[in-house]
Amino acid sequence: MPVTVRLPGALRDATGGETKLIASGATLRDVIADIDRRHPGFASRVLDEGGALRTYVNVYIGEEDARSHGGVAAKVPEGSEVMVIPAMAGG
Amino acid sequence: MIDRARIVLPLALRNDLVAHAREAAPAECCGLLLGDGDTVRRVMRCRNVHAAPETRYRIDDAQLAQAFRAAQDFDRELVAIYHSHPRSPAYPSPTDRAEAQWPLAAYVLVSLRVATPEVFAYRISDGAVREIPIVEATA
Repeated sequence: MPVTVRLPGALRDATGGETKLIASGATLRDVIADIDRRHPGFASRVLDEGGALRTYVNVYIGEEDARSHGGVAAKVPEGSEVMVIPAMAGG
Repeated sequence: MIDRARIVLPLALRNDLVAHAREAAPAECCGLLLGDGDTVRRVMRCRNVHAAPETRYRIDDAQLAQAFRAAQDFDRELVAIYHSHPRSPAYPSPTDRAEAQWPLAAYVLVSLRVATPEVFAYRISDGAVREIPIVEATA
């Protein structure tokens, strides 16, 4: 089930310089794992030690915030666009 | 690849940043400086949704996603991320350095600790801070 994953240049070091990828998976967890197989270390940038989305990373499936749809268990419909966006924060 | 060694900030937009900082005080303000490459053309004021806004900021994730979606090339159009320090210098705090995740963008800080607000720009990468010049265009 191919989906398009878009991310900003801020994460390109984790994807070999790519900011738009085609990945597959029925859930967000599967999609992240698929990218991690090609770009080892990607998952650790997005997921914490417990396998949940990091607090300072936001993921959208289409217009929807993945956190509102089960986090990494969220379903990713075929053909949808997934956006991975680091938060902007500080003190 | 974009490597911002300076930013060009029209005076009117610099004044808008300072106005935003003053309006938000004692909380920190935050937002995006959008444009092209190193030139700022627009200030996008964002909501500071952090639970402790007087000492911390977090740009509203929904506003950030909206800006990302709307951009043809977000890395090119996102010139800088800005926020204010109502009582401390216009220099990245330890929290700013620890939480910086956008190494291609500049970070602009506005300080209100003195009567004439200070505005400085930096790049932050892997916790390392490098000041970059702000060219204050008049138009």
